[in-house]
Amino acid sequence: MTLSWYWPTPNGKPPLIAVLSVIVPLAVLLLTASTVDMSYNKIFYAIPRMLDFTKNLWVMPDWHYVPQLAKKMLETVEMTLLATALAILLSMPLGVLAAKNASPHPIIFRITRDLLSFIRALPELVWALVFVSALGLGPLPGIMALSLVTVGFMGKFIAESIEVVDAKAIEGLESTGCTKFQSILYAMLPQAVPDFIGSLLYILDHNLRAASILGLVGAGGIGYDMVMSMRLFNYERIGMIALSIYALVTLLDRLSDVFRQKALGGILNVH
Amino acid sequence: MAYISLTAVHKTYPNGYCALKNINLDIQAGQFIAVLGPSGAGKSTLLRVMNALDPATQGEITIDGVTLNKKNYRKIRAHVGMVFQQFNLVDRLNVMTNVLVGRLAEHSWLSSLFYLFPKTDYQIAEAALREVDLLDKAWSRADKLSGGQQQRVGIARALAQQPKLILADEPIASLDPKASEEVLKLLRKICSEKGITVIVNLHQVEYARQYADRIIALNAGSLVFDGSPEQLTKAKQAEIYGTTYEETSHDAELVLAYT
Repeated sequence: MTLSWYWPTPNGKPPLIAVLSVIVPLAVLLLTASTVDMSYNKIFYAIPRMLDFTKNLWVMPDWHYVPQLAKKMLETVEMTLLATALAILLSMPLGVLAAKNASPHPIIFRITRDLLSFIRALPELVWALVFVSALGLGPLPGIMALSLVTVGFMGKFIAESIEVVDAKAIEGLESTGCTKFQSILYAMLPQAVPDFIGSLLYILDHNLRAASILGLVGAGGIGYDMVMSMRLFNYERIGMIALSIYALVTLLDRLSDVFRQKALGGILNVH
Repeated sequence: MAYISLTAVHKTYPNGYCALKNINLDIQAGQFIAVLGPSGAGKSTLLRVMNALDPATQGEITIDGVTLNKKNYRKIRAHVGMVFQQFNLVDRLNVMTNVLVGRLAEHSWLSSLFYLFPKTDYQIAEAALREVDLLDKAWSRADKLSGGQQQRVGIARALAQQPKLILADEPIASLDPKASEEVLKLLRKICSEKGITVIVNLHQVEYARQYADRIIALNAGSLVFDGSPEQLTKAKQAEIYGTTYEETSHDAELVLAYT
């Protein structure tokens, strides 16, 4: 029987690069799975214990904990908003310097890019450890760690959205004799706004989840309570905390959907 | 003395492509000049060397007594408006801001940072929008306008620069016949009433004949014709485009059929 199905290439066979990009990663995965202790037996035998844990969650919530929970959740939200706001202020200029078409000099472009990737190299938790040992326990080191990492990400996102803006408008501005700074402000930034909003909403979502675990190292937020109740098998609280984080993330998600629709639909005009 | 003069201007792009070869040209103030030639002849490059968007690699360009060099090109551009085939507006900004952009060269970085413009700039921008008959669209987003309207915003931006020269690089190549005619009429009016020199790149020979005071033609980077519309005979036209007489007249009929 002859197969009458072909790939859309000159000889009807899949391109070599596509074949390799499937085969090579698969082979690597198969060869390395054992080194990370990937054992199906282990997963199988863990199922009863996981069910056990889930069963334990079905307890009456600890109603006396509600005020404390509300306070900690509010702290988490405040940390998220403050860290994100600070990070936007810092990442705007850095993002412009790290965009190839907006940077005043190739050397400045390179240095800013490298600085941003250095910041991103360590996760929030590690930066939080650093700041906690410098400033002591509390939300402040958490905010600092969070905004630092956010600068690393937002700076890169901003730079990338500036780099893909339509060059025609930039040329239009340059033809009027304005400076590079003015063409960044009037041609590049307005056109990059939809991308900015997209990254900002993603970052907010990410930061809320990050802020909720920073307490793990004593850097404020709901994380500390979560870890403590886990360690003390305080099931009355674990469920409540998990549910309120879930509710908050979902709420933020819905809000950002609405906001995005408005922004992209042009209701949010930039003048 | 001529308003613009090009002396032995050459332009070679970094990839080695030679777009202009030894161009010598004098242009008087207040004229409407059409530049013709097949695609790739160097029409766009000729305009773009004049405001140094693509600086000439050799030769000298003098506009209004000032010779273009690396240090003064921004100063020159401030009073040379440019109109583009794709309009080159900032889509997400409103029409008014797109026109006010023509004033930026006069302002410091600090006022630009806050998107602030003085009242006199609004008066200039409003006058420019009235000139192109789009004052009622001042607060619409630029990308909500039709092609012809966007091109008129492009012209208003150029007018807001209070230019003595407007370079129009195939301003009607993306427009339908009706909008094309409107835009050319507008440019002609600006030239006649305000005495602004207008240089327009065109593909349509008939439009060039109809509107221009003087026609310049390029082929393969060299000047092949320079004269009045009357001097551009059908035979000359065939020479410019490197086609036979029959083909050209046939094309001309097609152009007329569309308009």
